[in-house]
Amino acid sequence: MQASRARLFKEFKEVQRERSADPDIQLVCDDSNIFKWTALIKGPSETPYEGGVFQLAFAVPEQYPLQPPQVRFLTKIFHPNVHFKTGEICLDILKNAWSPAWTLQSVCRAIIALMAHPEPDSPLNCDSGNLLRSGDVRGYQSMARMYTRLAAMPKKG
Amino acid sequence: MVSDSIPTAPIPSAANTKNLGKKKRTNRSAKLKQCKIDARREQWLSQGAVKNKGYKDGGDDNHAPPMHARKDGKRSLEELEMRPTGEENDGSIHQDSDLESPSYSPTSVNSSLLGGNNSGTHFTASSSSSSSAGCCSGNITGLDDWEAVADALAADEKHQNLCSETLPEHKTVVQMVSSCEMEYGSNLGTRESKPESALLISPASGNSRAWRPDDAFRPQSLPNLSKQLSLPNPDRHCGGGITWARTAPPYSCPICCEDLDLTDSSFIPCPCGFRLCLFCHKRIIEDDGRCPGCRKPYKCESIETEARMLGGSLTLRLARCCSMIERS
Repeated sequence: MQASRARLFKEFKEVQRERSADPDIQLVCDDSNIFKWTALIKGPSETPYEGGVFQLAFAVPEQYPLQPPQVRFLTKIFHPNVHFKTGEICLDILKNAWSPAWTLQSVCRAIIALMAHPEPDSPLNCDSGNLLRSGDVRGYQSMARMYTRLAAMPKKG
Repeated sequence: MVSDSIPTAPIPSAANTKNLGKKKRTNRSAKLKQCKIDARREQWLSQGAVKNKGYKDGGDDNHAPPMHARKDGKRSLEELEMRPTGEENDGSIHQDSDLESPSYSPTSVNSSLLGGNNSGTHFTASSSSSSSAGCCSGNITGLDDWEAVADALAADEKHQNLCSETLPEHKTVVQMVSSCEMEYGSNLGTRESKPESALLISPASGNSRAWRPDDAFRPQSLPNLSKQLSLPNPDRHCGGGITWARTAPPYSCPICCEDLDLTDSSFIPCPCGFRLCLFCHKRIIEDDGRCPGCRKPYKCESIETEARMLGGSLTLRLARCCSMIERS
């Protein structure tokens, strides 16, 4: 557990330094608990999530980095691989394909990539997955855009 | 005299920088306290977010002092370029007196007061700060590329202009500086190899306060840093030389972030070349046994023990061959 702490501390310092390096990701560590992190990611451009800012919650296990962090969306998102209610993310690198060489920052990047490239064949959100699988890209996109507007953009007025 | 007119120019700006730096730091703590995620998010979403972000960038980082030093250096570099280069050598002797004090401004004010009697003193002081500042960034990344000197100077000049223009709005400056520092480090690194004066400086400026964060490491870190530039090291960063220096010589284990010792650094457990320390390797073997670099299972227990026993590079090379054969 000492190793995970050291590693997280280093990641923390790295995040502090490179905050300007990746403008799409803001990674913030909890004030009192280094095992709790929050990330804000920008929806990738040319996707229905463009213009939205999505909040992610990281729960880092004691065995980190041997075990992957648990990540979920706190912001509602309409995406085949994200559970609509819980925000759970179906992403291989957060499950069996995890590697200790990944960092929280790179997980954020992977999630942004997942947002741009949904995998409708292993859906957590069946509605979204079915839209894509049936070829209704437009339907998926308009739904996703609607929820981005509703949940991930500032309220107007 | 010429020197009378020139020194007066940088002093107020240096004092400005100092004050702004203080303001920044106090603001930073206040900012951190109220950093509710939602607030941040709103900030980020609104257009003004860009400024705020840069503001925070500067404030949060712990390398504020070197940034000031560099900024000062850049400013005075401007002067330097207007002067004959011979003066740089004179300055190198006096450079400590200038940078040693954490508060750059009082010293220069003093020397400007003295300037009436002894204008030469201040003259050298201001030029020296520039030469040592060049050295500063030089030590952050040691590139021995002569061609880059020209680029560095050009970039520097451009940057100075930007800096001096935007100095009143320190937010923008800070953002710019922090984002460009990486580039600066590598570019300015070349300057360190240029004049003899810079070489003379480097041991002396180890004492100067402007170097405080990394001074102890500077001599050793020099050769390693260029190496590290070529590595896909997550440590690569755009701030001051603090962490560079700390992780530079051993190249720490990417898993646990402990420094690699000699055995560790000659230990290549996987044909993909991903290195880690023996401790982490053991933990991974006990856990799921896959290489973090390529996610292929570590196959060969025998090789690993062999490597552990002998540890030499020859054995390791053999081990690598073995593993290749085994895999194919």
